[in-house]
Amino acid sequence: MRVLATESAGVVSVKVIIPHPNESGTRKDDSGNVVPAHFVKEGSVMLNGRPLLDLQLGPSVSKDPFIQFRFAGKKGDKLALRFIDSSNQEFSSEVSVV
Amino acid sequence: MKRRAFIERSAAIALLAFLRPADLMATWNGRNFQQVPLEKALIDVLGTKDLVRTGRITVTAPAAASDATSVPVEINSDIKGDAIYLFVEKNVTPLVFSCSLHEGALAYFSLNVKMKESSLLYAVVRENGKYYMASAQVNVSAEAC
Repeated sequence: MRVLATESAGVVSVKVIIPHPNESGTRKDDSGNVVPAHFVKEGSVMLNGRPLLDLQLGPSVSKDPFIQFRFAGKKGDKLALRFIDSSNQEFSSEVSVV
Repeated sequence: MKRRAFIERSAAIALLAFLRPADLMATWNGRNFQQVPLEKALIDVLGTKDLVRTGRITVTAPAAASDATSVPVEINSDIKGDAIYLFVEKNVTPLVFSCSLHEGALAYFSLNVKMKESSLLYAVVRENGKYYMASAQVNVSAEAC
């Protein structure tokens, strides 16, 4: 999982990429078999130890989810991100705003 | 304190003590992500299908998408909202994401979306329990999902 948080004029823009197949459960492979669902379904973002975002994601998010969000903040702010997929695998990252 | 109330409270406190941080995440609500028509999805997720169309939300997406497996969608609004949502009308599961916005978070969200076919997208922002909406049409030339 890669996270980049940059501040400009009091607004922090955050870019998140989670390498993940994000299978919806409705796609068929080349031999016509349905590929089982396997996608990132939940996320939370903490800003300086306080909740900022709580996310629920469905099966129609693309492969390798690329998510961007914004908040009112400053350089040096600490972000802690956690995501969980439908197999309960966890992805987490802590970054400082630059 | 009455004995029963005391026992119930003790049980609740004991349960909280055992919760790991992972359990404290907003629990994924499968009901929100059912394979249902858009109207039913709106009622399941928002509790209403009465959305107020507004010019204060901008949905940016390509009018014609060549790759339906990854359509970039950006939602931006100056509404001081406490939640933001995206629905794709023609997808098997209309709700793409829901996100609650806590103190400091702006009503902005961007992500890449799979689209089954050409469809209207609905971006929704909640403010004081009211739901505001803007839409955009995306035409796709090949199927995804």
